[in-house]
Amino acid sequence: MLEALQVFLFDYTFRTVALGAAALGAVAGALGCFAVLRRQSLLGDAIAHAALPGIGLAFLLTGSRATPVLVLGAALAGWIGTLAVMGIVRGARLPEDTALGIVLSVFFGFGLVILTFVQRLPLASQAGLETFLWGQAATLMAADVQMIIIVGAGALALLALFWKEFKVLTFDGAFAASLGVPVRRVEFLLTSLLVVAIVLGLQTVGVVLMSALVVAPAAAARQWVDSLGLMVLLAAGLGALAGVVGVGFSSAGSGIPTGPVIVLVASAIVGISLLAAPGRGLLAEVVRQRRVGRRIRADAVLADLYALAMQHEDRRYGHPVATLRAMRRGEVGIERSLETLGEQGWARELRPGSWGLTPEGEKRARTRFLDPDEEPS
Amino acid sequence: MGAPEPAASLPDGGPAIEVNDLTVAYREQPVLWDIDLEVRPGALTAIVGPNGAGKTTLIQSILGLVRPAAGRVRILDRTIQEARSEVAYVPQRGTVDWDFPTSVLDVVLMGTYREVGWFRRPGRPERIRAVRALEKVGMEAYQDRQIRQLSGGQQQRVFLARALVQEARIYLMDEPFQGVDARTETAIVEVLRELRDRGDTVVAVHHALQTVPEYFDDVVILNVRRIASGPVSEVFTEDNLRVAYGGRVPFLQAVSDAPVADLPES
Amino acid sequence: MSGLDFEIQLLAVVVSVACALPGVFLVLRRMALLSDAISHSILLGIVLAFFWVQDLNSPILILAAAATGLLMVAMVEALHATRRVKEDAAIALVFPALFSLAVLLISRYAGNVHLDVDAVLLGEIAFAPFRRLEVGGHDLGPRSLWMMGGILALNLLFLMAFYKELKVSTFDAGLAAAMGFSPVLIQYAFMGLVSVTAVGAFDAVGSILVVALMIAPPASARLLTDRLPLMIGLSALLAAVSAVSGFWIARGLDASIAGSMATAAGLVFLLSMLLAPDRGVVASLLRRRRQKVSFARLMLTIHLLNHEHSPAAAEENRLGHLSAHLRWSPDFARQVADRAERDGFLDRGEGDRLHLTPLGREAARHFMTR
Repeated sequence: MLEALQVFLFDYTFRTVALGAAALGAVAGALGCFAVLRRQSLLGDAIAHAALPGIGLAFLLTGSRATPVLVLGAALAGWIGTLAVMGIVRGARLPEDTALGIVLSVFFGFGLVILTFVQRLPLASQAGLETFLWGQAATLMAADVQMIIIVGAGALALLALFWKEFKVLTFDGAFAASLGVPVRRVEFLLTSLLVVAIVLGLQTVGVVLMSALVVAPAAAARQWVDSLGLMVLLAAGLGALAGVVGVGFSSAGSGIPTGPVIVLVASAIVGISLLAAPGRGLLAEVVRQRRVGRRIRADAVLADLYALAMQHEDRRYGHPVATLRAMRRGEVGIERSLETLGEQGWARELRPGSWGLTPEGEKRARTRFLDPDEEPS
Repeated sequence: MGAPEPAASLPDGGPAIEVNDLTVAYREQPVLWDIDLEVRPGALTAIVGPNGAGKTTLIQSILGLVRPAAGRVRILDRTIQEARSEVAYVPQRGTVDWDFPTSVLDVVLMGTYREVGWFRRPGRPERIRAVRALEKVGMEAYQDRQIRQLSGGQQQRVFLARALVQEARIYLMDEPFQGVDARTETAIVEVLRELRDRGDTVVAVHHALQTVPEYFDDVVILNVRRIASGPVSEVFTEDNLRVAYGGRVPFLQAVSDAPVADLPES
Repeated sequence: MSGLDFEIQLLAVVVSVACALPGVFLVLRRMALLSDAISHSILLGIVLAFFWVQDLNSPILILAAAATGLLMVAMVEALHATRRVKEDAAIALVFPALFSLAVLLISRYAGNVHLDVDAVLLGEIAFAPFRRLEVGGHDLGPRSLWMMGGILALNLLFLMAFYKELKVSTFDAGLAAAMGFSPVLIQYAFMGLVSVTAVGAFDAVGSILVVALMIAPPASARLLTDRLPLMIGLSALLAAVSAVSGFWIARGLDASIAGSMATAAGLVFLLSMLLAPDRGVVASLLRRRRQKVSFARLMLTIHLLNHEHSPAAAEENRLGHLSAHLRWSPDFARQVADRAERDGFLDRGEGDRLHLTPLGREAARHFMTR
């Protein structure tokens, strides 16, 4: 553990790689928010897989292994994949999921064919294209990191510049069009930014899993905040965190591909967010449900107490728990409900095992059960 | 987007919206056939018709969101592109994701995006106007609420506020009363009347036929073609409705003893 | 053609057809991407079962894989049911996590055995003939051929036994429930079948290309026919064609067989999309071109009818007016008017004035009221 920390702080190579992973995680997280909100989570998967033949062809045509060349090829192929999805949906009138499935798998298969050509080349430089399948952060050079940061910053700058338009388009496209927003062009820009975010991460995370880094931080961030601005900021932060932690884990063990590690870290963040986020979190929901359930059960007992009191000349008379339980047909937890009523000051334990209404409890029962329109709370 | 154009003075008696020979088709399937229509300025106009009559398509064609196969639309004697800043749109409430991470005030502010222009954000003046618009629909207390927490009626009022903040002269609304509570319905009607009394024009797709005479001045009866249009007292007749709804009128009432309007045929 | 080539092609055809059969219903039920999610998730089951039994040929692996496929489907549904994420995001979150876990386990603990990360993506169809099934010293052929043949038979049996149920629950879940069989049960049984098929195919072509075999041939068949039995038959046929042509493409280019099969399936789809007799892009364009004039002719007669008795008729019903109001080019307007005249819908009066004939009036009325 200490060793890992030492590496983390002082190793130059590691710092470079971690910086790159953080940058691409941030870009993917921020732009992923729009993909998730526009229900395009799986389009990201298709774009990432469709990029593979682009990488291979870019290498075959230029003979260059320089990252910008390969990334450009990936981006073009990713875009063609997106257009193919739209073309199949419009031209063949098939459902979108079918279109996504075809593009994803056929482009990827074609990419594998291209890769077999690449592998036959007698060049030493061929090595490394396979890292685009699973991602290998260790292959990130300082120049690659620079490119990620510059291109990523450019993408985020465009996001900030066209924030209003992206937001209104994502929330209400018809309204955006009625405002005169050039919807097609803005959509084109937004999808292009998604393509950029995905191809930037291919070398580190790999085509197979990159889409998870686009979806997961956004889905996690949504649980914690209720504003688009905060969601994008938080998703960028969580994406960066997943990138850095993932790179840390994968460089601790030799030969472990980075992509799966980053995805597992991101998935863990999603899991924690779904469970623990205040408000939207499932734990908070359970607590809320319990409280509501307890109130409903307590109200039922209050109603019983009220009914009993009405039949008795002494309204403050104490009724045994056994009677109340019988009225609830032996339901368990009567004591708990009585305690709740006691805490609220609506009922009192007059003798051990005997409970009666307080004046406040009687008032509450009257307003709640007899005249529901004038509920005090 | 850009600065709002100065309000053009309207030649006396000119229509607020003029639709000529409008035909809209999806894949050679007609949705609207050769519609001719004039909408009176300063009036509340309802568009009624059975499901699939093309009511939403008509609204969207007026807004320029749908490409017509033929015909044209003029707004205050200008094209929709020239008249954008005069027109506000209230889409159907159900078309958006109400789990979207945004607040009530934020949604209303979207109505100012056009005049704010590219690359800029709404500022204090826009916020003040947005709050005013929320006050008009009785929602100012909810401005910081997440939109998911609103009831259907409250959502509709937020949409209305978003249109009000545009300070337009023509309001196009798609089923503003769909699935709202009685209180919201009253509030919306009040706002619509206020707009009319100010001289603004409101066109709303409307489903509940029984409230047409009470809420609206004019009515357009539509079923792929225009069956009739004009003042409610003249054209909102049993015969016209029967033509539009094919004899199965969900609601029929002797609306008035007004003469049956001229039908294009039959 | 050597015996080796023959065996590989036979296996390719069996795998493709076995995938295409359940694929038909995946496409029709709009669950195409669930096949992607399943084919990824089953890897975790395979890996975990392998750690347990230490034998790559154990049938336990298939069972475990199918179980993970079902688990994944259940997880997606549970996640979606929390209403914290939308369905597409739920799919996109669950399967990468399971897949990542599996890949990590392989690269960390099983790197030296027969299961490696490249095989996960590429499959090993080229090596399949080298693993023979021998019983009592007799060579019965490649082991995977027997397995895939079994899975194909299972698919056929399932399809025959539950054809009616599958069909009804695909097109009308409510009706299925009313008829007394649970759509949920059918759904899970079907997902189990998809999982088992994916496990078998995974061995041959890897996790991602399974999707191409399951989705592309049925999608192509969908464009060629509207009838379910024919669609099933065509899917199987196109799958076999893709498999064989994929094999020969791979041979010719000396490239990955699995990748070529997916590419061939994609090409078959592209051809169907362009050339399908009714739904194809070319047919649609031709039809639309033809319909454009006939639709415009109808538009013209209706326009004339609407303005026939109006005071502005003299003005409105002129050829020159059409280009202004209907926004037609003068050429197009003349072409349409000529066509309408030839069809007997209208007459031309003096000064380009257009008159409806009784036939035209009848036609306009008929189409306007549908």
